Amino acid sequence: MRLDLDQSVYSLEAVQKAAYRFIDRLTILISQSEGIITCDIDLIVGCDALLDPVLADFKRELLDQQLRVQIKKETTDVRNLILSYAFSRSGLQG
Amino acid sequence: MSKFQPLIAYVAVDQEYELLPFKFEPLGNEEVVLSNMVGEFAILGRNKLESLINHTLAASDPDYGMLRAKHLLREKGERVPLELLALKARTKLANKANFTNLHLFVVSLRCDHSCQYCQVSRQSEDKAKFDMTEETAEKALDIVFRSPNPAIKIEFQGGEPLLNWALIKYVVEKAEVRNKIEQRNLQFVITTTLSLATDEMLEYCRDHGIVLSSSLDGPEDLHNKNRPRPGRDSYARFVDGLKRARNIIGYDAVSALMTTSPASMVRVRDIIDEYVKLGFSSIFLRHLSPYGFALKTKSYQAYNVDRWLEFFKEGLAYILELNKAGTSFVEQYSAILLTKMLTVRDPGFVDISSPCGAGISAVVFNYDGDVYASDESRMLHEMGDSTFRIGNVYENTYEEIFTNESLLSALEDSFTLSSPGCADCAIEPWCGSDPVFHHGMTGDMLGRKPESEFCKRQMGIAKYLLTLMKTDPEAKKIFMDWVGPC
Repeated sequence: MRLDLDQSVYSLEAVQKAAYRFIDRLTILISQSEGIITCDIDLIVGCDALLDPVLADFKRELLDQQLRVQIKKETTDVRNLILSYAFSRSGLQG
Repeated sequence: MSKFQPLIAYVAVDQEYELLPFKFEPLGNEEVVLSNMVGEFAILGRNKLESLINHTLAASDPDYGMLRAKHLLREKGERVPLELLALKARTKLANKANFTNLHLFVVSLRCDHSCQYCQVSRQSEDKAKFDMTEETAEKALDIVFRSPNPAIKIEFQGGEPLLNWALIKYVVEKAEVRNKIEQRNLQFVITTTLSLATDEMLEYCRDHGIVLSSSLDGPEDLHNKNRPRPGRDSYARFVDGLKRARNIIGYDAVSALMTTSPASMVRVRDIIDEYVKLGFSSIFLRHLSPYGFALKTKSYQAYNVDRWLEFFKEGLAYILELNKAGTSFVEQYSAILLTKMLTVRDPGFVDISSPCGAGISAVVFNYDGDVYASDESRMLHEMGDSTFRIGNVYENTYEEIFTNESLLSALEDSFTLSSPGCADCAIEPWCGSDPVFHHGMTGDMLGRKPESEFCKRQMGIAKYLLTLMKTDPEAKKIFMDWVGPC
């Protein structure tokens, strides 16, 4: 099974993280070229689930991971600021 | 003229907001749970999550104020949420700086029981060579008091530690003498089945402030089945020991832990009833660990994580029934997770800490002077894997033990904020990692989380607790009582 994803919609990070979450069910080879991220997908040997419902879950996970990337992008600076502030007077910094 | 501004001044006005760092995880098909960096959480419909992330959530939306109060968003220019989040983050991690608190002394591997699932390979009672010596104990105490922690807990374990009673007394008295200078908050615990506890021992415990952590697996038939000993009287001895210990040391000086054997699976209500009958106010619904005899005798494989979760949920539902009917009774594992979810306190539970508590929260001194990063590390060693043997009191200094490469690798790999799968998980602020478990099961300290029973169990319990809090206001109130003040 092959899934082609538009790179202007899905980032490589989101696709990789979604694939990791399905590591117990799917073998996913990821490649990219010309604005397309391609996932070659197989059920892992010994997995007794049907491919279609697992694939549907994987597609939902792709959306979730893309949202997570969006949140992370917006909040990384403030997260670092909060942690810096939390330990600024702890005596733990070098 | 009024001293207050008119009502119109307090009406929510749509303005730009910024997201604060949070993670989310599906909770069923239509909802998600959001958690921020200190574990405060909210449950939202999927559509609302997308509105929130796309900055289209209206200030008049009923969830807007809640998300702002829980530090999942802030209005432009607000600094207070950042300062509060920083303060809470620091509070959550404050205990880490204190370093090791719990010091386990395995004073004997001998035991009068021969439990099928025992996680320590036991030896028969007559082999005195499996007892800790005074010399080894002295060297271990040297290391104990190097810990910078103002609170030191020494827990005696076995085998059955009461079989080496003379050494327990030796350690207690030597530690007390040292503590006259050290002035730490020094506590002692003996983990015992109570089967060999004499009145003389219990009086000594009373006089030295020693508390007892005992074992109760359920009703008499189940307890005796799980815990065979000569005379098949483990339960009777436990009940007798419990009564005498409560009379002599004090009612609250004895706690009990249970082990979930395959035979326990269909008996969770009976087990809880037994705890209530014997006057305990809580139970810890534990799973079996894949170590020692549990693995050798196939007990561990007898039930999988899904079956254990069923057992846990049935037990928790029954405990909530009891509470609603007026019997105050706590499930301790839930209470630990709920404390992380509902307060800024971290209960410091070794198995679900990030980084894990191995070495830095607890350390084990084996009878022969070997030092292990955790009790599970010692069990792994008994199975022939010494990866987490981090030193020996005769051969290594304090510095060498606590900078041991295996320990440092385990700590690094158990830091959930940088673990694949954990870093983006909304359960992560309430979870942790168990590098010893993952190493034992897969040979990799990090482990693949989607395949991990540890992950499946943690996720299963956390989502169940969240669902209960959302659907059952009375359960939520009971949970709030369990965790106490923020």
